[in-house]
Amino acid sequence: MTPAPKTYVRPMNRWWMRHPAYRRYLLREGTSVMVAAYALFLLAGMVCLVLGEAAFNLWRGFLQSPVSVIFHLAALAAFAFHAWTWFKVMPLTTPPIRFRGRSVPDRMIFRAALWAWGIASLILLVLAMRFL
Amino acid sequence: MSQTRTIMIECLRYDPEQDQAPHYRTYEVPFTDEMSVLEGLQYIKDHLDGSLTFRWSCRMAICGSCGCMVNHQPILSCQSFLRDYYPARIRVEPLEHFPIVKDLVIDQSDFLGKLESVTPYLVPAQPLTPEDGPNLQTPRQIEDYLGYAQCINCLLCYAACPQYGLNNEFTGPAALALLARYNADSRDAGQKTRMEVVNAEEGVWGCTLVGLCSEVCPKHVDPARAINRNKINSTQDYFLRFLAPFGRGS
Repeated sequence: MTPAPKTYVRPMNRWWMRHPAYRRYLLREGTSVMVAAYALFLLAGMVCLVLGEAAFNLWRGFLQSPVSVIFHLAALAAFAFHAWTWFKVMPLTTPPIRFRGRSVPDRMIFRAALWAWGIASLILLVLAMRFL
Repeated sequence: MSQTRTIMIECLRYDPEQDQAPHYRTYEVPFTDEMSVLEGLQYIKDHLDGSLTFRWSCRMAICGSCGCMVNHQPILSCQSFLRDYYPARIRVEPLEHFPIVKDLVIDQSDFLGKLESVTPYLVPAQPLTPEDGPNLQTPRQIEDYLGYAQCINCLLCYAACPQYGLNNEFTGPAALALLARYNADSRDAGQKTRMEVVNAEEGVWGCTLVGLCSEVCPKHVDPARAINRNKINSTQDYFLRFLAPFGRGS
């Protein structure tokens, strides 16, 4: 049997530098770290609530601090970007949708998702302003 | 007759009998507007350096042999034109994520094994003979798989996929798109055989939707869509196994 030819395998170091699409992908995935961080922050609030009034007031006090405001703004930006990219790839993850025998175009699914997002956010905002 | 200009083509060179690692060599290539990158490489081979090795065949984006990286972008060299890169120099390298055999030639055997693993042919529900007559389909049934059936196995999608580069156990875009192509065919009854490949860690779950595979595909196969739609099937298959333990799987 002929021996297998000697081949050269290139290393993958700094692979994200090779294409802008890779950096966009890492940014998209990276924003989910912020989503997780915010979930932990809310969990901390719940733990404080269980611990008692003093602990919960301490947590609420922290909400007013500049660090918290910056954290919230950063989280909002990360959430918005993450949601936007999530809706962008949504048509790739949904089963084929047909309407009157024709496939629904990707941009329609994307727009529908954006509208649903906008309306849901608006309802939440109205409810929050009314009851809080 | 269009005007002749000169472009610098920087080519990755690797001779397994002499080199420990690849190096680059730059060539000055005269070109006219209608010349493709492939024709630039052919000019080098015919006039400047006969030892430059690369694959090509049809010159019209059908055979899928001439894929390579130009400035880190996977392309078919017959379908890309030197005029679009001029006056900048171009860097031509073999397709990323595959072992280099020589210069621009890569070893495709890993892909061929994966292609075989997805049962890339029709598996009829019952054995058919020519006497059974033609296996008819409606235009709508053809539409379900026609996009995926355009794959020419050029491997640009594998060169675009960092997940395959980081872990080549991943079945990869083209093989999984072809899997979806046969699963979507009304004449096929082989879904169950292919499900093992879909469900595996190296199957559809190896994909994290970087999405570049679909962008670089010269035939608009859209492997990212094929793979991510199969994630739904894989999830259903997983849960249905609990609901109907005697009916599916095993």
